[in-house]
Amino acid sequence: MEKYDKLEKVGEGTYGKVYKAQDKVTGQLVALKKTRLEMDEEGIPPTTLREISLLQMLSQSIYVVRLLGVEHVEKNGKRLLYLVFEYLDTDLKKYVDSYKKGPNSRPLPSRLIQSFLYQLCKGVAHCHSHGVLHRDLKPQNLLVDKDKGILKVADLGLGRAFTVPLKSYTHEIVTLWYRAPEVLLGSTHYSVGVDIWSVGCIFAEMVRRQPLFAGDSELQQLLHIFRFLGTPTEAKWPGVSSLRDWHDYPQWKPQSLSQALPNLDSEGVDLLSKMLEYCPSNRISAKEALDHPYFNGLDKSQF
Amino acid sequence: MEFDFDLENPLAGVDHDTQQLSTALLLGSANPDEPLTLFAVESDHMSFLPGALDQFSARCNAHSLIVQVQFSNNLDPSLAYLAVNYVDRFLAKREIPREKTWIVRLLAISCLSLASKMKNIDLSPADLQSEEGFIFDSQTIWRMELLVLSTLEWRMRSITPFSFLRFFLSYLPLEIRLHIQALKAHASQILFKSQNEIKSIEFKPSVIAAAALLVAARELSPSHFLPFHSALLNCEYLNSETLTECCAAIDGYISTNCIEAASNGCDSGRSALTPVTVLDHCRAGLESGKTVGSASDGCDAKMCRTLMRRPT
Ligand SMILES: Nc1ncnc2c1ncn2[C@@H]1O[C@H](COP(=O)(O)OP(=O)(O)OP(=O)(O)O)[C@@H](O)[C@H]1O
Ligand SMILES: [Mg+2]
Repeated sequence: MEKYDKLEKVGEGTYGKVYKAQDKVTGQLVALKKTRLEMDEEGIPPTTLREISLLQMLSQSIYVVRLLGVEHVEKNGKRLLYLVFEYLDTDLKKYVDSYKKGPNSRPLPSRLIQSFLYQLCKGVAHCHSHGVLHRDLKPQNLLVDKDKGILKVADLGLGRAFTVPLKSYTHEIVTLWYRAPEVLLGSTHYSVGVDIWSVGCIFAEMVRRQPLFAGDSELQQLLHIFRFLGTPTEAKWPGVSSLRDWHDYPQWKPQSLSQALPNLDSEGVDLLSKMLEYCPSNRISAKEALDHPYFNGLDKSQF
Repeated sequence: MEFDFDLENPLAGVDHDTQQLSTALLLGSANPDEPLTLFAVESDHMSFLPGALDQFSARCNAHSLIVQVQFSNNLDPSLAYLAVNYVDRFLAKREIPREKTWIVRLLAISCLSLASKMKNIDLSPADLQSEEGFIFDSQTIWRMELLVLSTLEWRMRSITPFSFLRFFLSYLPLEIRLHIQALKAHASQILFKSQNEIKSIEFKPSVIAAAALLVAARELSPSHFLPFHSALLNCEYLNSETLTECCAAIDGYISTNCIEAASNGCDSGRSALTPVTVLDHCRAGLESGKTVGSASDGCDAKMCRTLMRRPT
């Protein structure tokens, strides 16, 4: 750790702070993230070992934030691991916010949305092809290099056991806005579709500069979704009424996506509707999304 | 999140939620990119041992120790296989000074410990070093674990020949598809047995996998060897010459094993792999029969510093 100068705190995660730091020798900027687990008597804890090596494998893709190394520190008899990541100047939440506020308020250029979404689908497809679900995709977990127009997936799975935590260590409520309906309804068998749902929500948020479904409880979150997309039926989503937390909800009719998102072209609306498909097995996959006509105008050779 | 490591499935993190996905991966339908990914990164997981004799003997001693622990604890062969893979990759990057034989022991124990954690198999430091000599304290094993991890850059989901078996089995001619399980089991045995063969680290994991399957096919049903062989040569990732070379290397190793087993009164090559035979094989591979492995010197906490980084 003596290798780095801590510069400033850049983020507050569920398990600890994230610092911007600089390599004293090379001057390279990095992000330091303390891992949740302390090391016990029996050497490195098995879960930490398995998760970091998985992260190592996934971060070989340019669409995933690169893990540069792992540093171990002993402080007051405690052992800690710090993950060292490449540093990117901002995250997608802060980036979208910068288009929302002040005199400079304007929509994100549609070329940029297209390019960010493409890179996001690339990153998600990469994780899925390695058998890994992200489970917590949201704008804060997508890092952006403003000048180069690069977007990368961050915050992969570390310590996120079988469920996404509800409260962070600072007791902030973890956001539900990007959570798929099957998860909200208590499905235990969820798969790659949960990530695609989140991608759809993020897509809409880039277009609107507002979250698509901003619920503050699991029930409110579901109601937001149902009001917009219509209450799901057995016909639209076979098996929905046997999910653990299914109740009789008010019957809403679906709204028109293109009216709700007037800035989005018809191909974009079509792709979004395929990402926000209720039935998880009918939801488009990340890999299929890459071939969707919405991306036709994009120069894919740059990726 | 569990992500127990499975030699045959190095990419997929398997836990309850992703099980479905992984089943899809196993069937090969959901993920046509997987072989591509594997072939692209396999060389990052190879270990080219430097020519020094010292490293060969270090490798032999570490292997023999691992096999010893495997036998006395009745461990899954894939765990020992993974540990040996870590040892080889470590030795390819760092040199162990000739006189520090205790470091070799420590390396073997730490690699076993790491492999057991990757595979989520309970193995305490006590299980790892029951019998002989002094016992390393957990602090020391711990430091060595970290050294191994940083040397291998935390690439602990090794890509080994096992990772390619499923892929190459898809080239199997239809007539012998029935024997697919037997063939895979036999090829796995061959892989376990030939890991200690020094030559085996000169070939890419994918080439070793294809060769092991071919040798297994020839033994199980000789008439299907040729069709399988020509089918495999259609695979863009394989080259006829290296494949033949690798088959020959495996043949050579297996036949020495069998002869030895027979002369020991054993009935098959399978029982030939014991700590002693591993060591004998390695020694035979060295020019001189110089003595290796009498761990008796002390262990100091600064051992990490005595492991020199190989000049690049
Ligand atoms: N490599 C990086 N470069 C720049 N900023 C980063 C980097 N990594 C993280 N950050 C910032 O820190 C924040 C928290 O990081 P991260 O999401 O990795 O932590 P976390 O503890 O897992 O958070 P949570 O689980 O609550 O999403 C990010 O939203 C981002 O703003
Ligand atoms: Mg985060």
